Amino acid sequence: MQFEGKQPLGVVYMTSMDRPDAVLALALLYGLQAKRESRIGSVCLNGPGASLGAAIFCDLVQRFYTPGPMRNANQTLLPGLALDGPLPPDSAMITAAVSQTAYARSIKRLSDTSLPEAVIRNGVIFNSEAVMILSAPATYLAKSLDLQGVRELYKDRVKRLVVVDSGTPQDAPAIRKVLAEFPSPIFFCGKDVGDALPYPGSSIDKDFTWAPQHPIVDAIKAYKPGPYDPPSYDMAGSLCAVHPDQGFFQLSEPGSITVADNGRLSFVPGPTGKVRSLIVDPTQKDKILKAYTELASAKPAVPQQRVRPPQKAVDTPKPPTAPAKPD
Amino acid sequence: MIVTRKKLSRRTILRGLGAAISLPFLDAMTPAFAASTLPGGKPVRAAWFYVPNGIDMRHWTPGDEGPLGTLPSILAPLQPVKDDLLVLSNLTANWGRPLLVGAGDHGRALAAYMTGMQVYRTAGADLRLGVSADQVAASAVGHLTKLPSLEIGLEETRQGGNCDNGYSCAYAYNMAWRTESQPLPPISDPRQLFERLFGTDVAEPPAAHARRLAMRASILDQVGGDTKKLESNLGVSDRRKLDEYLTSVREIEQQVQRSEQDGVIIDPAMEKPYGVPPEFPDYFRLMTDIMIAAFKTDSTRVATLMIGREGSTRAYPEIGISDGHHPLTHHMGNMTMLDKVSQINSLHLKLFAEFLTKLKATKEGDSNLLDQSMIVYGSGLSDGNVHTHDQLPTILAGRGGNNFISPGRHIIYQRETPVCNLFATMSERMGVTPEHLGDSTGRLQGLSLS
Repeated sequence: MQFEGKQPLGVVYMTSMDRPDAVLALALLYGLQAKRESRIGSVCLNGPGASLGAAIFCDLVQRFYTPGPMRNANQTLLPGLALDGPLPPDSAMITAAVSQTAYARSIKRLSDTSLPEAVIRNGVIFNSEAVMILSAPATYLAKSLDLQGVRELYKDRVKRLVVVDSGTPQDAPAIRKVLAEFPSPIFFCGKDVGDALPYPGSSIDKDFTWAPQHPIVDAIKAYKPGPYDPPSYDMAGSLCAVHPDQGFFQLSEPGSITVADNGRLSFVPGPTGKVRSLIVDPTQKDKILKAYTELASAKPAVPQQRVRPPQKAVDTPKPPTAPAKPD
Repeated sequence: MIVTRKKLSRRTILRGLGAAISLPFLDAMTPAFAASTLPGGKPVRAAWFYVPNGIDMRHWTPGDEGPLGTLPSILAPLQPVKDDLLVLSNLTANWGRPLLVGAGDHGRALAAYMTGMQVYRTAGADLRLGVSADQVAASAVGHLTKLPSLEIGLEETRQGGNCDNGYSCAYAYNMAWRTESQPLPPISDPRQLFERLFGTDVAEPPAAHARRLAMRASILDQVGGDTKKLESNLGVSDRRKLDEYLTSVREIEQQVQRSEQDGVIIDPAMEKPYGVPPEFPDYFRLMTDIMIAAFKTDSTRVATLMIGREGSTRAYPEIGISDGHHPLTHHMGNMTMLDKVSQINSLHLKLFAEFLTKLKATKEGDSNLLDQSMIVYGSGLSDGNVHTHDQLPTILAGRGGNNFISPGRHIIYQRETPVCNLFATMSERMGVTPEHLGDSTGRLQGLSLS
């Protein structure tokens, strides 16, 4: 086999990229990647903030955190973007970063983005183990469930799906389908979790200074004048998805997520449910915020050099010297 | 008006010992005074041309989406028929990628491309893949024709052994897979292909067959009686069409005979079946002429043609290239090598353009064969140097009958759009509606403007 040792956990992140916590969650996921605790398998954008600029933003953040020549699509998938209706305009947060020409990018036009349901599936195919973070409408995750062989694939490889509630209404039929049919354990990261753990805004000016220009900083500062402490919905979901067992959060007894017709989610405990809800333990708050800031502001990993092991010297007879050509 | 003319069956066959020649569409096959429509609707054909080792994409992709203008240099031979084809960009054959199994891109590329399925790594007999796109289409229309499908190859075939990092040669040498474990080997011998099309299940006695070949007699002699009988019932126009058609069959047969006479092996490194024309362009033309004859006579509606097996090392001395194709594609940025890859790509496209032109010139009622067809030209690799399986080079030629396709455009899809979405759309057009075709995520949108 080509791969030796355990592959990092792959992360499929489905986001609307319309809030600071989504931007910071992306940074946190690259922080986890730098520590080789997980790697981003794919990012899929749909929902209120899913513009072309948002896709460019996710792409340039990826390029920012993985410097060097662009890896081909056999290793890296470009972000998925929903194109099933008029695209929303780029938010000020997104524009602030993508307007900076200093950041390298691979996406220039819509056709440079990836097909959403395919990129969700392929993000799992690329990894032997994966987790999913669903913060966007479940439209494309539900679609992906209907693709050939995907339920078995998810059952085998997806360790958990974390459904993040940020207060934005869900696609009700799609999330109901996902909740009913998703073959792996589901965690629910309620809005209360993100609200209880605001990201310390002071960190933005303090912890990211290792880069003279940083797309995450550009975006956060453009969202509104700071410093401010944004709720951490997607960050909490991401941290739980990758490290559910490190004591950051407590887990509820089993229950289920109910979906109102207007797309609002709520967790209802019940013995027959298969969902567990995240509970914030106040004693762990500092630990979580420390993890947030350290991971989100982490420097990219230094690319591993492929160095051939020293070759054992072998005494080989020199080839006979060719006779000089006569003039 | 009084309808007097008796309708000739579309299935009429000229029979003789060891011969069964289907007919092209004749006016007599339509009800009188309705010559512009075919009985039962005009048949739609589908064909897949596979080119190995990827393409020099620098000179393939048109710059902009929309109507095709001046084509990039590799596609330039298609300029005269640009209004009859679509260039489709950004399609992916995901299962060709290394994913978690590592090397073996050539071993997987063709198989993953045609099936959209994961290729089970084995060099043994325990092959496991999936049903190929052409066979999905054939499942809808194969029972309507003499041959359910026609598999053609322009290189020798191998069905076993380890061809690439533990992948069986069967994966790299077969386009068509009837089941997940049963490939349909392509025919690379022109004589065998000719006789598959024009022969019968009732075999000519071997001695008589050998005598006919030795005498270089024509298969048309075998059906002379039937031909005369039919001619007496045809009008002037149909008699002319029949004569033209039988002449074209005879010309193909003579090409086969010449190949058998002249098929000397000029490159000892290249295995060739007996009777293969020594020049690659002649070989390509001969085999595609037989494909056209098969379509023209509605002997089959589904065909595959493998220009080379995946990983082909064929040299092209006809255009001054003595290096093998595959080694050249691993150019590591060497422009001399890359330019040779371009030249090979252009040669293939030149021959493909000739094929399309012939299809277009073949009338069928008030239409022509190209308009009644969907012809895919593509590869399971784009950049052969680094083995990328996305942004695949893909052409879809023809209108698929009844203007199902609006050609003359460049369409750029989102990245990661499975190439199987195209194949699923084609299969649907052929009459089968697969819920999934391999890793398809749906149908390919935008093929038609209406």
